[in-house]
Amino acid sequence: MKPRALIVDDSITVRMDLKDSLEEAGISVALSATAAAARDALARTAFDVVILDVMLPDADGLELLRDLKSDPATAGIPVMLLSSEGEVRDRVRGMAVGADEYLGKPYNRVQVVSRTRALCRKGRSQGREKRLVLVVDDSPSFRGRITEALEEGGYEVAEAANGEDGLRLAAELRPDAMLVDQQMPGLDGVGVLRMLRADAALRRLPCLLLTASQEPDAELRALESGADAYLPKSGETDLVLAKLAALLRSGAGPRDPGSETGTSLLEAKRVLAVDDSPSYLAELSDRLREDAYDVIGAASGEDALQLLAAQSVDAILLDRMMPGLSGQETCRRIKANPSWRDIPLLLLTASQDRQDVLDGIQAGADDYIIKSDDFNVLKARLKAQLRRRQFEDENRVFRERILRQEMEALEMQAVKELAESRAAHIAALEENNRELSKAREEALALAKELESFSYSVSHDLRAPLRSIDGFSLALMEDDAERLDEAGMGHLRRIRAATQRMGQLIDDMLGLAKVSRKEMALEDLDLSDMVRRIGEELAAREPGRKVRLDVQPDLRLKGDAGLVRILLENLLNNAWKFTKGRDEAHIAFFAETTAEGNPAFTLRDDGAGFDMAYAHKLFGVFQRLHSAAEFPGTGVGLATVSRIVGRHRGRIWAEGRPGEGAAFHFTW
Amino acid sequence: MERSILLVEDNPDDRALTMRALQKNQMLNPVLIAEDGVHALEILLGGPASAPADPPPALVLLDLKLPKVDGLEVLKAVRSDPRTRLLPVVVLTSSKEEQDLVASYRLGANSYIRKPVEFTKFVEAVRQLGLYWLVLNEAPPAGAAAGGSPERGVDHD
Repeated sequence: MKPRALIVDDSITVRMDLKDSLEEAGISVALSATAAAARDALARTAFDVVILDVMLPDADGLELLRDLKSDPATAGIPVMLLSSEGEVRDRVRGMAVGADEYLGKPYNRVQVVSRTRALCRKGRSQGREKRLVLVVDDSPSFRGRITEALEEGGYEVAEAANGEDGLRLAAELRPDAMLVDQQMPGLDGVGVLRMLRADAALRRLPCLLLTASQEPDAELRALESGADAYLPKSGETDLVLAKLAALLRSGAGPRDPGSETGTSLLEAKRVLAVDDSPSYLAELSDRLREDAYDVIGAASGEDALQLLAAQSVDAILLDRMMPGLSGQETCRRIKANPSWRDIPLLLLTASQDRQDVLDGIQAGADDYIIKSDDFNVLKARLKAQLRRRQFEDENRVFRERILRQEMEALEMQAVKELAESRAAHIAALEENNRELSKAREEALALAKELESFSYSVSHDLRAPLRSIDGFSLALMEDDAERLDEAGMGHLRRIRAATQRMGQLIDDMLGLAKVSRKEMALEDLDLSDMVRRIGEELAAREPGRKVRLDVQPDLRLKGDAGLVRILLENLLNNAWKFTKGRDEAHIAFFAETTAEGNPAFTLRDDGAGFDMAYAHKLFGVFQRLHSAAEFPGTGVGLATVSRIVGRHRGRIWAEGRPGEGAAFHFTW
Repeated sequence: MERSILLVEDNPDDRALTMRALQKNQMLNPVLIAEDGVHALEILLGGPASAPADPPPALVLLDLKLPKVDGLEVLKAVRSDPRTRLLPVVVLTSSKEEQDLVASYRLGANSYIRKPVEFTKFVEAVRQLGLYWLVLNEAPPAGAAAGGSPERGVDHD
């Protein structure tokens, strides 16, 4: 679909002129002479761009602009303001209110068209969906023919009638490809290509040179000048399309990133001219517009500063002698502002005084021009400054690119180093793992050794004990008449010691088994387990009177076998140490620790112990009571403690001699 | 005539104590002694130069830790031979290591008794196992597994 523009201007001349130019460029145009008509048109139709005169018969154009920008339905439509020269404050206000572009009257048609096109794209989707082809040909009929063919082929088309406009449009629009006629008045096709290839921003633009010439060396010259392809203008548009498609395909890769963002010297430049003399300003503006500059006139230094704040310009021409803020001071202020200091500034003066020149340069001016009727010098100087600026920009882009590459290289280096250190880290980890698995193997071997040790102990250490006990008894039985009471007593001691050692071996083996048993965690009903163990103990010693209170439903996750051994040991102890009570009381319950965790407690009212020795309770072979008083090997609580440890838990005890003991555990 | 008991035990002390315990319990069956696994298998299954004991023993008391061929291997051989497959074998050993218990029952031991250190307890254990295996328990008919000698009865006392 063609882009739509609305032109709002009270001058029929302007309306018709712009309508023709825009329609020629493929933009459909609606016209309004008043603000009311414009509002009406905007309400009915969706436009891609509005070109708005500031001075309207029925309203202030800026009012209309403000309304447009504050209505969500129209806020996205780009607006270009057109204003007569000298109305600097309008320009400043217009930009402040939200204009997207501001062009002075009298306008340059090509400029209006190219800016309009640029704004259309901005309003549409920021980018273009179709490939844009710029056709540069002086023959309207050929342009019409090729444009039609290109649009049928799915391209967007921009047209220029001569080489100069073509270059400017190329810089403005940044088309995907360009078709250039070789024979044109003024700048011809070869000239266009030369300029294009010399421009940093445009040198990669694919170009197809068309020619009607039959000269044998025409193609050679065309390719020499930098054309990507060459076609005779024979009338076969199909051939042009095919060649164009091939050209775009081969150039479809990413373009030079520097040129993508860079500015082109061929773009139409905006110049701020500042002079208190209206006649000189008018003359200067006219002469510059001949060369397609967009000229903004300002009558004073103050106006100039205001305008710069609203709209950026490519160069400044500044009169030295002005009432109010002098040229020198204006120059100083512009050059003191970081965002303006790079704009080329040319100081204009009527005097030839050497000191004036020096002062001007000192104030920061980039060049110094003596006013005269011959504007060619001024134009040349201006162009030179713009070129210098362009080169500086290109250099900056280039430097930035180098810097970016260096940064990327540094980043790559960092990434590489990171990868290397990670690799080293992984190698270290693997080494660690190897050591760990070696240690694990050693531990496993050790465990296996311990197991076979236990096995041997179990078999071989007990056998001699059996002999000692058995033959001691045989002696006592068979030779009783030959032994006196003392001898019989010795044999009894031998037997007691033997049996005690047998018990010790069994307990030690049990402790070792607790340490190496594989754990299988499950949800356990501790209350039930305690009750059963209590019943077994009661059955073993039917004479004892023991009351066992068990809080129901106490549950814990643990290894069933180990937890059973733990509870058996604790209950055995409680049973054993309460034997002095006529009626003993043992309780199993849960309570909350100081840290807020649940802990399980087995409390008895038996012999108890002195807290001074509490730390010895859980050591192997540690006993706080004599064997005569309470028999035992001192392995039971060590076993309990080891089981708690294997569950990564904690066990502690409280007691008082004669008042009982309480054992708490938790995990 | 009383059927014999085969005692497989390498330790002479343990042999003497076991004999003493049997005597204390008035168990007067003849006792065959094997000092290692090879000897035990010769008695039970016959060897290169000898025939198996005839009649076969009524009960085998088998220690596990033995020179040459250990108790578990003896048990395995006994259970895989049709002539002795149903022979009552009581493992009588020092250890109660889980691995021994499991292996013994897996290989078909009829009973597993750990010799207590205290001799009086050992005497009691021998009394009970003798009473059970030689008196109370009805043994399978001799040779039943082999399918031969159906006329041979089983001795009770």
